[in-house]
Amino acid sequence: MKPAIFEHERMSSIDDVVQALANADGEVRVLGGGQSIGPMMNLRLAQPDKVLDLSRVEGLDGISEAGDRLSIGARVTHARIEDGEVPGTTGAYMQFVASGISYRSVRNRGTIGGSVAHADPAADWPTALLALGGEVKVVGSGGEKSIPLDGFQVGPFTTGLGWDEVLIGFDLPALGPNTKWGYYKVNRKPGEFADAIGAVIIGNEARAVCGATESAPFRVFDIEEKLSGGATELSVADAREILSGHDAGFDDYELQIHAVALSRAIGRAFA
Amino acid sequence: MSDLTININGEHVTANVEPRLSLADFIRDHQRLTGTHLGCEHGVCGACTVLMNGEPVRSCITFAVVADGTEITTIEGFDDDEPMAQLRQAFHENHALQCGYCTPGMLVAARDIVTRLPDADEDRVRLELAGNLCRCTGYVGIVKAILSVLEQRCS
Amino acid sequence: MPDGTSEFGIGAKVLRKEDARFLNGHGRYVADIARPKMLEAAIVRSPVAHANNLKVTAPEDSKGRFFTADDLSADCVAPIHVVSKFPGHKGSDYPHLANGKLRFVGEAVAVCLAETRAAAEDMVAATGLTFDALPPAIDMIADAEPGAPKVHDDWEDNVILDSRFEENTDAFKESAVSVTRDFRMNRQAVNPLEGGAVLAEWDAREERLVVHSASQIPHILRNALCECLGLSQNQVHVIAPDVGGGFGYKCVLLPEEIYIPWVAMQVKRPVRWIQDRREHLVTAANAREHHYSVTLHADSDGNFIGIEADIHVDSGAYAVYPHSNILESTMAGRTLHGPYKMSAYKVRSRAVATNKPPIVPYRGVARPGICFAMELAVDALARELGREPCDLREQNLVPVEAMPYTTITGGEFDSGDYPEALRRARGLIDLPAIRARQEAGEDDGRQIGIGFGCYIEMTALQTSAAARAGLAAIPGYEQAQVRLMPDGGLEIGVGVQNHGQGMETTLAQVACEKFGLEIEDVAVRHGDTATSPYSTGTYASRSMVMAGGAISRTCDVLGERIRKIGAHLLQCDLSQTEISSAAVTGPSGSVPFAEISRVWYRNPEELPDSVDPGGVEAVSGFRPEPDNSPFSYATHAAVVAVDPDLGSVEILDYVISEDCGTIVNPMIVDGQIIGGALQGVGTALFEESNYDAEGQPLSSTFADYAMPGSTHLPVLRLDHLVTPSPLTEFGVKGLGEGGAIPPPAAIANAVNDALREYGVEVAETPITPRRVLTAIWKAKQSRLSSVETS
Ligand SMILES: Cc1cc2nc3c(=O)[nH]c(=O)nc-3n(C[C@H](O)[C@H](O)[C@H](O)COP(=O)(O)OP(=O)(O)OC[C@H]3O[C@@H](n4cnc5c(N)ncnc54)[C@H](O)[C@@H]3O)c2cc1C
Ligand code: FES
Ligand code: FES
Repeated sequence: MKPAIFEHERMSSIDDVVQALANADGEVRVLGGGQSIGPMMNLRLAQPDKVLDLSRVEGLDGISEAGDRLSIGARVTHARIEDGEVPGTTGAYMQFVASGISYRSVRNRGTIGGSVAHADPAADWPTALLALGGEVKVVGSGGEKSIPLDGFQVGPFTTGLGWDEVLIGFDLPALGPNTKWGYYKVNRKPGEFADAIGAVIIGNEARAVCGATESAPFRVFDIEEKLSGGATELSVADAREILSGHDAGFDDYELQIHAVALSRAIGRAFA
Repeated sequence: MSDLTININGEHVTANVEPRLSLADFIRDHQRLTGTHLGCEHGVCGACTVLMNGEPVRSCITFAVVADGTEITTIEGFDDDEPMAQLRQAFHENHALQCGYCTPGMLVAARDIVTRLPDADEDRVRLELAGNLCRCTGYVGIVKAILSVLEQRCS
Repeated sequence: MPDGTSEFGIGAKVLRKEDARFLNGHGRYVADIARPKMLEAAIVRSPVAHANNLKVTAPEDSKGRFFTADDLSADCVAPIHVVSKFPGHKGSDYPHLANGKLRFVGEAVAVCLAETRAAAEDMVAATGLTFDALPPAIDMIADAEPGAPKVHDDWEDNVILDSRFEENTDAFKESAVSVTRDFRMNRQAVNPLEGGAVLAEWDAREERLVVHSASQIPHILRNALCECLGLSQNQVHVIAPDVGGGFGYKCVLLPEEIYIPWVAMQVKRPVRWIQDRREHLVTAANAREHHYSVTLHADSDGNFIGIEADIHVDSGAYAVYPHSNILESTMAGRTLHGPYKMSAYKVRSRAVATNKPPIVPYRGVARPGICFAMELAVDALARELGREPCDLREQNLVPVEAMPYTTITGGEFDSGDYPEALRRARGLIDLPAIRARQEAGEDDGRQIGIGFGCYIEMTALQTSAAARAGLAAIPGYEQAQVRLMPDGGLEIGVGVQNHGQGMETTLAQVACEKFGLEIEDVAVRHGDTATSPYSTGTYASRSMVMAGGAISRTCDVLGERIRKIGAHLLQCDLSQTEISSAAVTGPSGSVPFAEISRVWYRNPEELPDSVDPGGVEAVSGFRPEPDNSPFSYATHAAVVAVDPDLGSVEILDYVISEDCGTIVNPMIVDGQIIGGALQGVGTALFEESNYDAEGQPLSSTFADYAMPGSTHLPVLRLDHLVTPSPLTEFGVKGLGEGGAIPPPAAIANAVNDALREYGVEVAETPITPRRVLTAIWKAKQSRLSSVETS
C-alpha cells in the first residue's frame, strides 16, 4: 500500500503556492497535515503528480481575536484547538469538536484548513464551522478574498475553492459568553468519522446544522426558527419530521440518526 | 528524489529519498530501525506511532520529506527516558502485550498519555487509546499498566 | 499433580520471558528482516468475483520480474489439493495464481517484483487484465441450490459437503414446546495486526530453500512446499520468527507461501512479500459466515428434547491446506447441542462454495456460530415458556454427576461442572439486581438487558477425529526435545509456534515444575523446522496440552538419565535419588544440574561405564490417553444498555466463569480469555466483511471495517473453576480460543432481553445500530398490523 510517484515541492510563501498552482501541469495538490491525503495516496485513491508542501509557509499558524471576530490560520492543528488555544466561547465549542476528531497522533498533524478544503462529508470541521458561520479566507491568482462558510462546501469533497486557490484561514465570530452551543456526533468508536452530526449554536442568531450527510452539511432553517423562537428542546420525532422535508437522500435509518444527533445537540446546548 | 535531514533518536541522518517514501518506511527500511511497525498504512491502527518533535504522529501517513528538519524518536530511542522505563516495566507486570506487534506504537501513545494527561482516569485512558488497535490483549492489561504509571508519577 | 510450591512451576504467575524484546523494539517479524539484494513483491489480484478467459498482459520491461500461472505450470508447480475422507465431498484445486478462471475478488493473478514495494505496486498498476465476467455465487443459501452460478465448472452444484446427523428422531414427537428461528453470523476477517508475510531465498551454500513466514504451522508449510515444488524435506527450511498474532488465519497455507518461494528460486534473489491491510481485508475476509434455521424442542417442564437444524456455511471458493473447507460445517453439524443434554438430534449441515475467499478456522472455528444459534434458541424458548433463561440453562446443562458424558452425536466430555460455571456467572453478574434495575428503568431512556452464553470447546483436536476427516495434517504424538546445557540450564525445542500466547514462558514453567529450575534457566525454542521436532503446529487450543505434555514426558525420560549420573556421583542407588531444585538428591547430599553437565560435557572420564549414551538430551512425546480431547467450558454473562433511538449497544458489565482445567499461569490464562472476549465483541457488534451483489468487497480498509477498540469492553470480571482433565499431563485443558466463542451469544441475548418489551429479537451479527433499529421498527410495524387486523 504505497503511493504512486509524485513530486514534492516545499513552499516558502503563499505567493509561491499560488504561482505553483497557477502554473500547474497535471494534478497538483496542496499538502496540509497530510492526514487525509496521506491515507488516500497510500491507497492510490489520490495520485497527484505534484504536492505543494505548506509546512514551511509563514503566517498560517495564527490564532487571534479582534473585537467580535476570531482569525484562525489554515495550518492550526486539531491538537492546538483541543488544547484550548482558541479563546472564549468559540474556543470552548471548537475544543469540544477538536477533541472528538480522530486520535491525538492524527490531531497533532491534521489541520483545520486541510479538513475544510478536503470537505469529507463525514468530517467534523465542515459541519462545526458552518454552525458557527463566518468566512473562509483564500488566496488565488486574483488575490485574497473571503468566501462565506455558508455554501462553501458544495458537495462531497467539493468546495468553492478554485483550482488555483489556497485556503489560508478562517474569519469566525467570537461568540458571546451567553451563547449556547451543542454538538453531537454519532459514530461507533471515539475518533472515527461521523455517521451523523448535529451542531447548534444559539446566540445573536440561531444556527443548526445537519452534518455527515452523503453530501455537504446543511443548515436546517426550520429548527433555527424554532430555536430563535425560544425552543429549548426538540424531540426526535419533530427533528425527523423536519429533516424529512429536506432532500438529503436519507434512508430511514440515516434520517433517524441525524434527527437524534440534532435533537441531542439541542439538548446539550440547554443542559 | 528529495534531500532530507532528520535527527533520529539523537543521531543526525541525511538522505536522498523518493518523495513517496513514508516516514515509517524510512525509519524501518532505510534506517533499519524495525521496532516501529505497520499495521494498516492508512492512519487507523497506531502501530506506526513515533514522536516527532516530542509529539506522537502516525509515521505511515507522514512522508519522510515532510519530516525534514525534525527530531524523531522511535521505540529504540527511549533508553534514558523515565516515563518509558516506567511504562515498560508496567506493561511487563500487567501482561499488556501478547504478540508484541502493537506494543511499540502503544508505548509511544501511552507515553504521550502519562506525560500530557497526568490526571487521566480509566475512562480517559481508554478514550485516548482508541487510536491504537491491539488485536491480542483486549486492552485490560494495557489500561492497567498506564493507570499504574500515572499513579506512580503522581506520587 | 502440581503442588503449587514451585516458584516458577505450574500455577505460578510468572512474568513473560518474551516481553523484553517486544518492549524495546527488538522483536523480529518477517517484515523486519531484510536480505542483501532482496526484491519486494506486489501482487496483481482479481478485480472481479467470477470470470473466465483470464488474459494477463505484463507491464513493459518486466521480463524476469513478472510471473503468472503459466510460469508456474511451465515449471510443473503443483496446485494445492485438499482431500477429505467424508463421502460426497467435492474436491478442487486451489491454484496458487489464477489460471484462466477467477473465483473471488483478491485472488492472486500475477507476481510483480521490484527493488521497492512501491515500484512493485507501480507494476501492478501497469498490468493489463482481460476476462469475461460471470455471474457470481455470493449467497450461500440461494447458491446451494441447483441452477446457481457454479464456482467450479466440473461440479454438479456448489455444495461441497452435505452432512446429516440424525439420532433418535422419533423423540421429537414428545415435544410440547418448540421454537423456530433463523440466525446468521456474517463474514469477517481475522485481522491479526501483522498480516501474512513471506521472505524466501534459495541458500546456495546450504542448498536449500529458506522461507521466513508469519506462520503458526512451520512444519506443515514445509510439507506443502515439498509437495508443490517437488523438493525434498531436507531442501526446505521454514522459519516462523516473531509472529504478530495469528488466530487461525496463519494456521492454513496462503498461496503466497508457495509462489513467493518459487519466484525467489526463479530470480535467484531473496523475495519478500508483506500483505498490506487492504490485501488482508479483501483476500482474508474469510471467517465465520454461517446461517442456521433451528428448531429447539422441549417438554412442558422445559427439558430439552432435541434440536433440528439446517445449517449453511459459506466456505468460499477453495479448500485451504491442511484443514480443508468443511471443518466448520461438520463441526457445526455435529456439535450444535453445545453443553446440553438432549435425546434427539436432526441436523443437516452444508458447506457451500461461493465466490469469496476460502474460509479459514478463525479462533473458535465453528463454535461462535454454533453457540450463537444454540444460545439464542435457548433464550427464545425461555421466553416462550415464560422462564428465566438462566434457569432453563441450568436445568439442561450436562450435570457434574454425568461426567464423563457421551453426547448425542458421540462426543466425549471428559470432566467439569457446567452448571456451576453458570451459577457462578449468574452470581457475579448479580441477576436479581439487574432484574430489579430493569423494573426501575433508566434515567437516560436506555434499555438494560442481561444475556448468557454457555459453550464447550473441544481442545487439542485428537488424532482419530482428524483422521476421520482425512485432513492433510493429522496430529499424533506431539514431541519435545529437552537438552541439559553445559551450564546446567535447559533448552527446549518444540514444533508448536508461539505468536502471543506466552509459550516461551508457560512451556518453560512445565520444565520448572518437573525439575525445580529457575525460569531464566529454561529457554524454549520454536518456529524453526531446522531446530524443532515435527509438529502440526499451533491451532485448536492444543499447544499447552500437547507441547506441555510432551515436555513433561520428555523431562521424565531426561530426568532418569540425569538421575543415573547423579546416583553415580552420589554413590547411591538410582532408586534413592530424586530431582528437586535443579539438583539430584540422594541420601548423602545433592548434585546440582550444573555438576551433572560438567561431568557429561567436560569431564566424561568421570562417567560410569553404565551411563546412558543418549546423554543429557532427550526427545519424547505425548498424546492424551485415551485419544480424546479435553473439553474446556465457560459461561459468559453480559449486561448491555441499548439506546432505542440510535440502536447503539453499550456493554455495561461482562462476566466470565470458565474452566480450562489446571491453570499453568493465571496471568496468561486471563490474558488469553480477555483477548478472545474482545474479539468476540468484535464479532458481536462491529466486524463485517460486506459484499455487494457482484461480489465486490465493501470493507477493504479499517475505515469501512470496524474493529473493536479500547472503549468497547470496559468492565470484565473473570472467575475460574478448576477441574483437572483426566486425559492430560497436570490436568490442563486448552483455552486459547474459548474467550472468543460466546460473546456474540451473550451479547445478542442481552440485547434481546433489553428489547423484550418491543418484542424484538436480533438474530444476526454484527448487531449494528442499523440492524437494531430496523428490528425495532419491524416489530412495531407487525404489532400495528396485527392490531389493525384484530
Ligand atoms: C484515522 C483517521 C481518523 C480521522 N477521523 C476524523 C474525524 O473523526 N473527523 C474529522 O473531521 N477528520 C478525521 N480525520 C481527518 C483529519 O482530521 C485530517 O487531518 C483532516 O481532514 C485533513 O487535514 P490535513 O491538514 O491533514 O489535510 P491534508 O490531508 O494535507 O489535505 C486534505 C486535502 O485538503 C487540501 N488542502 C489541505 N490544506 C489546504 C489548504 N490550506 N488550502 C487548500 N487546500 C488544502 C489538500 O490538497 C487535500 O486535497 C481522520 C484522519 C485519520 C487518518
Ligand atoms: S500503520 Fe500507521 S496507523 Fe496503522
Ligand atoms: S499484542 Fe498483539 S496486537 Fe497487541
